[in-house]
Formats: sequence, C-alpha cells, structure tokens
Amino acid sequence: MNELAVLSKAMIQERKDILLSILGGFIAGIAGVALFSASGYLVSQTVFSPPLYTLIVLTSMVKLLGLLRAASRYGERLYSHRATFSMLSRLRTSFFAKLIPLTPGILNRNRSGDLLARIVGDVESLQNYFLRVAYPPIMVVMVFLATVLFISAFSFWIALLFVIGMLATAFVVPGIVLLGQRRIHGRVREQRAQLSTEVTEVLYGFRDLKVYGQLAQREQQLQQASATLAAEQQRAAGHLLRGQSMHALVTFLISWGVLALGAYLIMSGALAGVFLAMLVMASLTVFEEAAAMATLPAYKEDSEHAAKRLTETVQPTDVQSLRPGGALSLDQAVSLELSGVTFQYEGEWRPALKDVSLHISPGSKTAIVGPSGSGKSTIIELLLKLRTPTAGDIRLNDVSVMELEEKSIWEAANVVLQQSHFFRGTIRANLLLDEEEHSDEQLLDVLAKVQLPDKSLTDMVYEKGENLSDGEKQRLALARAMLRQGRLWLLDEPTSSLDYVTEQHIMKHLYAQTAQDTLILISHRLTGLEEMDRIVVMDQGKVVETGSYSELMEQKGYFYEMKKIERQMIGEAAV
Amino acid sequence: MKRKSSLISQQMSSQRKNTALLAVISLALGAAILSQAGLLAEAVQRVFVERATFSSVIALLGLLLIVMVVRTLLSYGNGKVGLRMAATAKTNMRAAVLQDLTQASMPSTLRGQTGGKVSIALDAVDEADSYFSQYMPRMMEAAIIPILILIVTFTEHANTGFIMLFTAPFIPLFMILVGLKTKNKSEEKYAQLAEFSGTFLDSLQGLVTLKIFGRAHRQQQEIERSSLGYRDATMGILKIVFTNTFMLESIVMLSIGIVALELAIQLLVFKSMTFHTAFLVLLLVPEFYSLLKNTGTAFHSGRTSMGAIHKVEQMLEETAGKSEDLNSTEGAGTSDKIVEIDNMPPIMELDHLRFQYARDSFELKTGEITMGPGEHIAIVGKSGSGKTTLLHLIAGLLKPASGTVRVNGSPLSQFDENAWFKHVSYITQHPYIFAGTLAENIAIGAGGNITSAEIERAAEEAGLAALTAQLEHGLGTFVGEGGRGLSGGERQRLALARAFLKRPAIILFDEPTVGLDLHTERVLQRSIAKLAKTATMITVAHRLYTIQQADKILFMDNGVLVDAGRHDELLERLPQYAEMIDIERKRGEHHE
Repeated sequence: MNELAVLSKAMIQERKDILLSILGGFIAGIAGVALFSASGYLVSQTVFSPPLYTLIVLTSMVKLLGLLRAASRYGERLYSHRATFSMLSRLRTSFFAKLIPLTPGILNRNRSGDLLARIVGDVESLQNYFLRVAYPPIMVVMVFLATVLFISAFSFWIALLFVIGMLATAFVVPGIVLLGQRRIHGRVREQRAQLSTEVTEVLYGFRDLKVYGQLAQREQQLQQASATLAAEQQRAAGHLLRGQSMHALVTFLISWGVLALGAYLIMSGALAGVFLAMLVMASLTVFEEAAAMATLPAYKEDSEHAAKRLTETVQPTDVQSLRPGGALSLDQAVSLELSGVTFQYEGEWRPALKDVSLHISPGSKTAIVGPSGSGKSTIIELLLKLRTPTAGDIRLNDVSVMELEEKSIWEAANVVLQQSHFFRGTIRANLLLDEEEHSDEQLLDVLAKVQLPDKSLTDMVYEKGENLSDGEKQRLALARAMLRQGRLWLLDEPTSSLDYVTEQHIMKHLYAQTAQDTLILISHRLTGLEEMDRIVVMDQGKVVETGSYSELMEQKGYFYEMKKIERQMIGEAAV
Repeated sequence: MKRKSSLISQQMSSQRKNTALLAVISLALGAAILSQAGLLAEAVQRVFVERATFSSVIALLGLLLIVMVVRTLLSYGNGKVGLRMAATAKTNMRAAVLQDLTQASMPSTLRGQTGGKVSIALDAVDEADSYFSQYMPRMMEAAIIPILILIVTFTEHANTGFIMLFTAPFIPLFMILVGLKTKNKSEEKYAQLAEFSGTFLDSLQGLVTLKIFGRAHRQQQEIERSSLGYRDATMGILKIVFTNTFMLESIVMLSIGIVALELAIQLLVFKSMTFHTAFLVLLLVPEFYSLLKNTGTAFHSGRTSMGAIHKVEQMLEETAGKSEDLNSTEGAGTSDKIVEIDNMPPIMELDHLRFQYARDSFELKTGEITMGPGEHIAIVGKSGSGKTTLLHLIAGLLKPASGTVRVNGSPLSQFDENAWFKHVSYITQHPYIFAGTLAENIAIGAGGNITSAEIERAAEEAGLAALTAQLEHGLGTFVGEGGRGLSGGERQRLALARAFLKRPAIILFDEPTVGLDLHTERVLQRSIAKLAKTATMITVAHRLYTIQQADKILFMDNGVLVDAGRHDELLERLPQYAEMIDIERKRGEHHE
C-alpha cells in the first residue's frame, strides 16, 4: 500500500471535490434505496385502502426521489471526474519534478524511450485509482450504514442480515477475487510483454531472419505466444467474471434471506406485513450500489502496479542526498582533470570508461576521437555531472565535481549534445532557453554565424524540431551554445550532419569566439583536427593515445591507421 | 460500413455455434428473471396478503432460491461464452496479423513504423476483445429479455406495458444523442490527449537539455498548466455526457414513478388488480430499464472495439492489395519451384529491372548486367541513390516491378525462396541480434545440426575469440535484445561469424560508413576476403580499396544504374564517377 502514498497525498489536495462527489454519491445511493422502498411500501399500503391523499404524497415522493437521485448522480460524476483529472495533473507535475534531478541517471543508454513511454502510460493508468478503487468502498459503506440504520427501525434481525451482506460484498467477495488475481494478472502482463518484444524483434530483424530462413519458425513461435496470451487473458477475465457472478449471487441470497426472515418474523408477529415488500425492494437496490466492488480488485491491482513502478523509477539515489555548495566561476577558462575515472552504465556487463586519466589545461582545445561506443560521449556526461563516475575523481578548476553545484557547472558550460532537443515554439524561444537577455540583432548575428541567415526569429519549430533537418538542428544547437557566457565548451559531434564547406565556416566563427576558453570537441570524423592543441584517441573506454595532429601522424599509431581508413571512404560526402 | 463489418462478420460466422448458445442462454435467463420476480411476488402475496403459515411458503422459498442460483449461473454462462468467443476471435485475428507481418514482402516492412505495427498486433487486437466478450452477450440479452418482460407485463397488466413501450424508445434515443454530440468532441479530446501525452514525453526526453539550460522548472509549470487545460477541456465534454445521462435517468425514474402511480390508482380506485400482479410489475419494470441501459454501455465499448477491428482490417487489406500486385508481376505459372540450385557460385544477370517503393518516390532502373561466378561487385553512388534497394533486388528480398534477376539463366522468382537463401549471406551495417546467447546468435547462420566446435571455429574466424575469452560464460554469454551490451564492431563480427558458419555462395555486404574500431576493421577486411574466395560478393562500397579491387563497379545515380565496369574504365569514360573519386581525394588531401 505504501506505493499509493503519492496518490493519497494527491487525493487530500482535491478534498473539496472529493467531498462533494461523496456527498452526491451518498444522496444518490440513499435516494435510490428510498425510491424503491417507497414504491414497495406504496403498493403494500394499497391493500389497506388508505385515503387517496397518502397515495398522492407517496407517489410524488417517489418521483421527487427519482429526480433527486438523477441530479445527485450528476453532481457525483462531475466532481469525481474533476477530482480525478486534477489529481492526474498534479501527479504528472510532481513526477516531472522528481525526475528532474534524476535524469539522465535513470535512463539507460538504450532503452530511455521505453522507460519514458512507460512513465507516461503509468501515470495515465492511475486515473482509475480514485474512481474505481478508493471511492466505491467509501460509498458502499456509507449507503449501507444509512440503510441499515433505517432498516433497524423495523427489525434488528433484518438489519443484521444487511450488515452480513455488506461485509460479504465489500470485503469477502473482493477478497476472494483478489486472491488469485495477482498471480493471473502478473502472468498476463508477462505474456503480453514477451509477445510484444518478440513481435518487435521479428520486425526489426525481418531482413536477416528472411535470409537465414528463420521466418516460418519465428511465426510459429509468435502464434504460440499469441495463443498462450489469449488463453491467459481468458483466464483472467473468467476470474473477474466469477467475482461478478459471486457478487450477484450474494445479492440474491441476501434478498432471499430478507424475504425468508421477514416471512418468519411476520408469522411470529415481530414485523408488520406491510413492510415486507419495502424491505425486499430495499435489499435489491442497495446491492446494486455495490456493483463496483466486484471490479475493484482488478483496478486496484493495476493502479498498485503502476504506482509501484513509478515510485521505483523516481526513487532518489544516495548521490542526490548531497547538497554541495561549490560554484564554478565564470571569470576564467576552466581546467579539467580526470584521474582514474571508470564508469559503468547500469545493467551493462562492462564499463563504458575504464580508468581514464586526462589533464586539460585552461584555454586549450582538445578533440576526442574514436569509434562509436568508445566512451566519448560518456566523458561529457560525467563532466556535466549528469552522471557520477563509478570510480575515480573529476576536478574542474581543481575542485572535485562532487563538491560543485550542478547548476553552476551548467551555467559555466556551453554545451551541444549529440541529440539536441527542441521545443514547439519560435526559433527565438528555442534560442533563448536560458532566459538571458539578447537583442534581436545579437540573435540574427549568431544565426548568420552558424550559416542560417534565412531563418527568421519568428519561424515556428515543431515538437522535437520535426520540421528541421538534422543539419539545421545542429546549427541551431550551436547558435544556442554561442549565445551563452560560459568559459567551457563541450561539443559532442556538433557538425556531423553538415557538409564540409558549411562546417569550415561555422568552425571559424566558433574558434574566434572560443579563443580564450577551454574547448572539448568530440568527433568521429578525423578531418579539421589540425587546429586542435591536442587529440585524445579512445577505444573501448580507454585512452589509446594523445598528442597533436602532427605528433599522432608521425607516431603512425592508432590515429594514423584510422586516418588511413577514413581517406579511403567514398560516397558519404554527399550527406 | 459494409466493409467495416467484414472482419467482424467473418469472425461471427465462424462462431455461429457460440452465438446460438448465447441466444439459448439469454432466453433461459429471461425465463429465470421472470420466474424470480413471479416467485418473489407470490411469496410476498402469500405472507403479507394471505397471511399464510411459514411452512406453507417454505417450498416456494426453496424454489425461489433455486431460481436465483440458476439465474446467476446462466448469466455467468453467458459471460463465459462471450469470453470464449473473444479468445477465439482474438487468436484468429492476431494469427492473421502475425502471418501478415512475417510473410510480408520487404517493401511493406520498410513502410510504416515498427511501433505502430506492434501496437496493432497487440493493442488493437486486445481492444477487439470487448466486442465479443461484452457487446455480443449484452446485445443478445437486450434483444431477447426485454421482449419477454414486455410480453409478460402486457398479459399481466397492459397499461404498464404501454407505459414501458412508450418510454423505452427514449433510452436508445438519448444514447444516440449522447453519442452524436460527443463523438466529434471526444475524438478531438483523444487527439488532444495524444498530443498532451506527446508533450509530456517530449519534455521528459528533452530533460537533459532543459536542465543544462536551467529551464526545467519552467517546463514543469508548463506541464501543470497544459495538464489543467486538458482537464477543463475533458470536463467540457464530460458535462455534456453527464447531462444527457441525467436526462436519461430522469426518464427512467419518471417512468418507474408513473408505473407506480398507475398501479396505485388501479389498486385503490378501480380495485381491478391484485397485489401479486402489482408487485410483480413493480419488480419487472427496473429490470426492463436496466437491461436497456446496459445496452448503451455495451454499445459504447462495442464501438470502440469496432474501431480497433477496423484498424486491424485496414492493415490486412493494405498488405493484401500489395501482395496481389506483386504476385502479378512475379512471373505467373511457376507452380513448380526449382528447389535445388546447382553450380555455385552462380552466374547472375540483371535484365532491365524497374522498381518503385511508392508512386511518388524515385524509380530504380537498370540495364543489362552480368555478374560472373565468384566476381566481386561494388555498388557505388551518393547516399540515397538506390544502392541498398539494388542490393535488395539482387538478393530477392524485393521483387522488381518489371525485368528479371536471373541465376544460372533461370529467373530468381522460379527458385524456392528457402533454397535460394541457403546460399546467401547478407551482412548489413546493423545486423540483427536477438535476445539469446552469443552461440545461439551465431547458430542462426546455418540450419540443422551444428556442433559447438563449429560455432567456436566460426567465432574465431570472425575475430570474436578475444571478446569471448574476456567473458565469464564465453559464447554462452547472454546478449539482450538488439545486441544490448555489444559495440557496433562486435555486432559486425557476430554477423561475420554467422557467414563463416553458413559458407554462402553469394555474399551481400553493406560496407560500414562510420568508424569502427581498428580491430574490427582489420577483421572485416581479412575475413571478408577469406569468405569471398569461394563466393560471388556484391558490396555496397564506401571504401576506395574495395572499389579499386572490384571486378565490376555498378555506378548508381538517382536510382539509375548509369554504368558498370572496372575502376580505370569508369574513371576514363564516366565523368560523374571520376568527379566523385576526385572530390574524395581532394577532401583527403585538404587536411594534409
């Protein structure tokens, strides 16, 4: 239940709407019971030929109750749904807030998209929690208690029977359903996830599987998994259906009990016969209000599962508990020192960086090159304190990053990540992410520097920059970095999608602006590295060699070999 | 509408037995409901009006109990039949989708997003569930039981029957009104919801950028604002729904009230009615209305289901139409496929191939090209010029719209697909790695029995030995889906190991464009050379070395195979080719 604490908190914040919806539901429930009881009583009364006016009073009461019930049901629905949607919005906001300090740490390298989609889905599935899990028992208990109170005025024993019925429908039946529920649902989820992965795998590997003649076999596997899934789903649904039927049976049994007990009490003179029809009608109606209890276990299980995954996801790591106060100065170029740094992504069987030591002096220009997967980008993530090294120490301006406040590092750094993010909005809004003051002339000047003179500041950028080409995105990301005041430049393949000429133009402006600053440039292309003070060559998470361009070429080592291969490449220049 | 229901009717016709069973159970259920009300009324009549002794009603009460149990069992049975129908229908539909996906042609796998297809195979099919498990049983009940109730009410007390008959149509009417009013709006809402979820996801994915630029908290406020905006929009629609439901319930309540009033007047003023009849009618009326109301909810879920089924149908239709097209171009009348292919490596000929992915995309055109046994062919050209498409056509993964690929003089389409692929290896830049051990991933390269020694040898030849030596479980190490944990170079080497195990006569190779590690580069060059000794090799080439060594170079430009020949021949007679080589040379020299 602990996982649902978040939900309970959100519910307390919506207490006004919740109270109103409970009130509405209560009135509706009571009105329904009263309505049918009254009509039962009405019909019974006629046997005694009462004066007409009592009948008119009774029937108009029946009608009024009917309208009251419909109206309060309306109120209940309105407020309960409003409460639900408000809670959902609160949950989204609070999860987003909790995720801010945790990214990108919680994101695995390969499956970030999955995880994020899951978070969205899980928050979405919590919407059933209030409406179908927390709310029905409150309602059932309240309406039952009121009915029992009313009934007890006529007969204690029948009231007792109602109490037994309430206990059976509110606790025993859902309890029985819940018993098998968890296991069955767990299996359904598992089967479903497995089928989904397998289908995805087949689609991704379609060409290879076809060439290897494996498709027929794969299809058979899929068909089998699909049949198993359908069978498991049928079992789960059957389980739920049994619960609903059990609920219906209990309702009937109680009504029957009321009838039998009533008959006995009337015979023995303990109850007036005129109330029998009323009591039977009341029992039939009051259990209808409890129908939601039968489906409660399924929703409870779902919401708990979702809530559990969410709380697990945003579990704060111990690293975050530290609140360092150190700040990185903006006044001077930054020196960097990595000593014995090792980093391993969670869930991977070998480190991305192995014992990397590197000194980068202030104001120097360093390029990091190496094949994909050699750990280049990881270095930038570690420098920005987006992730913390598994072992070793990183010092900026001779202060350990552990003692530096993240924000001050980000303020001091001008960063272009491999995947730059853009938002729906104008070019201007996307350039001014950091909310600093820049005049339009400055902005246009930067756009010209990154070879985007045709873009207007009011041009729209779609979600994720969908309407921009890769090259345009890279240029915009560079412009965004060039507008900042930091003295540390961390650029991760900032020009990989640009043609050679454009790249040269932009780099010229960039080098002019960064003359006094520390710059780290990650590149998988080996062109244009002559101007760098130093080139760091990485392979499989290790630094293989370092030196200036001419030094490395003279050494005829790893870099030289890579360069030789690159010179052989053809047909990718047209990108 | 006709087409929409075709998949449903197809499913329904295969489930006629179940449908009939539903009808029978519903009929029995109706009888049970009526008897329950009748017995209940009778019991109250005897106890209250006739003041009978308790022992005289015991039999009646016993009967009532039995009827109640039977009623529960019957509606349980109806639900069970529905579930069975749903399971069968889902299995059938998913089988069709899966078959469609696995037996699809290459172009259809390239088109559309993988995520969308997976979602159809899983979500859309699952959504179809409620049509069979909810909608069908409810509709059957609603079609039979209210009529039974009406008949009984008419025979018992016609006036109530009339009231019910007149008010009943209002219920579907209001249901339709609710549906009409909210349909467009709720579609809008779902679009909005999708967009909103998208924005949320978008913000999460961009969180790193937001953090670095110190904008995360502003985005948080943004999310809150748009989330509340979405709430208000939703509430707007829900209000309409709730208002209509309010009207609906008022009608039901008023109808019940009118029935009660009418009964009272009959009983009291005209004295033309027994208590038994009045109470029976009073018990039946709510059953009648709640059955009709249930139809509404069932109808709603049925419609959602039909939408999902329609999606599945669309996908099936789309590919069905596509494969018809392909079959017609695939040299008809070849019922007897040639199963064995002799003389490997074969002579391959391309004869005026034409291919187009879609009407508005570029068209691939070739002339007549012959590739001798064991020759090394390089396909070159700018990115997007159709190199990979040509490779797919040669491999038989795509069928040309016109023209033929001939193997040893016979059209490729006459060969049995599996027999042909037995001789082919296709090494891509992103080889497919499935969740399993390294050994299992290598073993996919050859069908039948392979010893672990053979796998080990293949791994060694592909340069994987150094990696496996590092691993605790060696070749038994488990790699995740998509080769998680393996570097790009290691994946390439794994693909090579598969080829070593298979020893193909034809190697199709898409040369990597981005920098692999040096070790992999060396392994690739050495191993490919070794493999290619006994095979025809066709490479999408990016390396000057490969191009210069090739026996024949196919130069592609904007989908057209412009010319074919040796390096020096093309350099001499094809200015575009010379230009391309020249640019590369200059690019290299520029940085010396």
